[in-house]
Amino acid sequence: MSTLPLQAPEGLLEVDLDDGSVSLQIDATLYPLPAIYAAAYVFIDRAYVLLDRPVDGRVRLTLASKAPAATPEDLRALVGEAANELLSAAFRHQLTQDNRVLVETVTMQAVAGAMGAPSLADLADFDFTDEALDDPLGIAQSWEEKHGRPLPSEASAKASAETSAEGADSEDSR
Amino acid sequence: MKSLRFHRELYPGEAVDEAIKTLAPWAEITREASPSHWIVRLSARSAAAERRVAGELMNFALGLTVRRGPPAS
Amino acid sequence: MTDAGHDPDVPADLAALRPVPLPMAAIRPRAGTQAMFRFRPIRNHVLVTNVDGRWLLLSRDEFTAFARGEVPEGSPLHDRLSSHGFLREGYRVPQAVERLRARRSFLQAGPNLHMLVVTLRCNETCAYCHASRANMDAVHTDMSKETARKAVDLALASTSPFVTLEFQGGEPLVNYEVVQEVVDYATRQNRERGKQLEFTMVSNFSLLDDAKLDWLIEHRVQLCTSVDGPQALHNAQRRLPTGDAHQKTVFWIRRINERYQQLGLDPTLYHVEALLTTTRATLPMWKEVVDTYVELGCRSLFLRPIDPFGFAERTARRLEYPRHEYLEYYRRAVDYMLELNARGVEILERYAAIFLTKILGGHDPNFLDLRSPAGAGIGALAYDYDGSIYTCDEGRMLAAAGDQSFRLGHVDTARYRELVGHPTVRALAIATNLDAQPDCVHCTYQPYCGTNAAYNHKTQGSIFGRMRDNAVCAVHKGIQDYLFEKLDEGDPSVLRTFERWTTIRAREHFVQPLSDASSPSSPAPADPVTPRGGPA
Repeated sequence: MSTLPLQAPEGLLEVDLDDGSVSLQIDATLYPLPAIYAAAYVFIDRAYVLLDRPVDGRVRLTLASKAPAATPEDLRALVGEAANELLSAAFRHQLTQDNRVLVETVTMQAVAGAMGAPSLADLADFDFTDEALDDPLGIAQSWEEKHGRPLPSEASAKASAETSAEGADSEDSR
Repeated sequence: MKSLRFHRELYPGEAVDEAIKTLAPWAEITREASPSHWIVRLSARSAAAERRVAGELMNFALGLTVRRGPPAS
Repeated sequence: MTDAGHDPDVPADLAALRPVPLPMAAIRPRAGTQAMFRFRPIRNHVLVTNVDGRWLLLSRDEFTAFARGEVPEGSPLHDRLSSHGFLREGYRVPQAVERLRARRSFLQAGPNLHMLVVTLRCNETCAYCHASRANMDAVHTDMSKETARKAVDLALASTSPFVTLEFQGGEPLVNYEVVQEVVDYATRQNRERGKQLEFTMVSNFSLLDDAKLDWLIEHRVQLCTSVDGPQALHNAQRRLPTGDAHQKTVFWIRRINERYQQLGLDPTLYHVEALLTTTRATLPMWKEVVDTYVELGCRSLFLRPIDPFGFAERTARRLEYPRHEYLEYYRRAVDYMLELNARGVEILERYAAIFLTKILGGHDPNFLDLRSPAGAGIGALAYDYDGSIYTCDEGRMLAAAGDQSFRLGHVDTARYRELVGHPTVRALAIATNLDAQPDCVHCTYQPYCGTNAAYNHKTQGSIFGRMRDNAVCAVHKGIQDYLFEKLDEGDPSVLRTFERWTTIRAREHFVQPLSDASSPSSPAPADPVTPRGGPA
């Protein structure tokens, strides 16, 4: 592992020229995790990207160039762009947070469905059980359901069932 | 043999498993769990292939994590 | 989902397309005063877009002040930002709602485009055939009249007041009887429904004769075809046993256009539309392609890249190309088209027109793969020759290759609401909603863009895809970069041409007359000149 001549505090930047990779340690108290994910994601077209948590409060972003034989200049550009993208992502994240209610209000009011009102025949045949929510692609399934993992403990399952029942009641009472 | 460590607070196991499944045709891949990480070991036909499969696996796992959300804390 | 591999060459290709990033550390942005917006460098300026699709091109200094929240109240920049909905203070929700509603008007009704694959048989052999055509003796791939009528019943059950039935194949003229049956039956059935009904046929025209043409014109069937550019290129890619595919197509284009003129129809509006499929051989011939279209009297050219469906998957090594090469070709071709327009020749590029209608016009021309969510199942349905129903044309193309992921049901048993509420349709609507797609959610072009779940599924192993190394995303971003560069340059002649390209004039002649029901008064929301399906 060799050093990369970049202006960064000691230990925050590491480079591995043999592997063509560079790692940047990010202060997770300054950069929210969604912004770190968003910034990391931007590089998957040109780098192999890994996130790790070397110590509490820090996230390490490692970018390994996809291009063979990356030079120190390539890696310097990559990590410089990563630092820049982190700032952009944090800014975007904050903008989204600040405006979430506004965006949801506008979108909800503007968008209507494509299905139209059901006919009487549709209503007569309508399946009001959960079967109607069949989910062949598994988009609504939990990891446990999909991969046969042990279900949550009985206590939490019971609590969850009670919560669901309350939710169902309140739906019905509307 | 190449080893990858996916922190359990940053990557849901589902994303790692699905990435492994996706890349399985190109390498022999196993997964273990430590208290802090999902540890993925893979071997492919050459060092270059190993680097590439490992890299694609990292990107798939990240992509799925971003799409579906990080692990519940 | 199958086929999870992706093209290893894509990332390298895309490197050339990325804009130079903004120096965010120097800008020191601070959120708080801004309404939701997204940003992207465009040459020396910064493009900002907001939730309802309004946009501004700011200088770097203006952007810095805006990003820092330091724009003085009462300054011209403050007024610009405020009036375009970029500041939280004074943000007008009702105005934004109306704008977004106009952009998403396609969501207020069900599918309006219904593609009928009346046969897979085709007399032409195309190097890239997306439809997996069948030989002329494969009569079992003809749609029956009974199946066709059931497909029409489902199409007319749509909640959309506008229904277009598009005949596809194979070559639809091979099963001409069923085409006639569909036109007659749908027109009769529609007398009760009262929809604004149109028919479109995507054909290579080589089986056309005067009797058929008389009937098609009399029944107001809009005719579209494929032209791959100049004769040599076209005939190399689209082969007839007689070796004269281009000559036959051109002959009938001219004949049909003459017939429209004889009917007294405005030739600027009524003429044969042609589709281009861009292969590697097309790239250096951008000028010849444009000239061919102009010479044929076509007023639009759709510079579509090749898709990986059907035979194109097998011939990809010969026909495919890196997407940055495609974008260079696109820029050259459209630059040339803009030059021609400045000299009074009317020719528009369809991709540009779709994007510009959203960017400049503020509404959506409802091109199914360039909207959010995409039109699969909720904007269109495809009915295969055997009665199987798919969310989209690509869905039935994938089915022809053994992948049934996009099949919704069969005309014998399906009901309309089951189709549009099908779990697959819902999954596609989620996957193609750019408000929930990683990367797209932060992309400056999000208000104008769209993604194709079937393409994502085919090339990247999931209906969501992965936009950062997705070739369609690269094309969409590249084209919009080009358009905003042109808007930034502000050449009055280019701006005039762009304005003209956003003007959609409805082709009322192609709407089927209703004898005992009143005609809807507003024009169809769908892009009225772009057949959605694959090449003829």
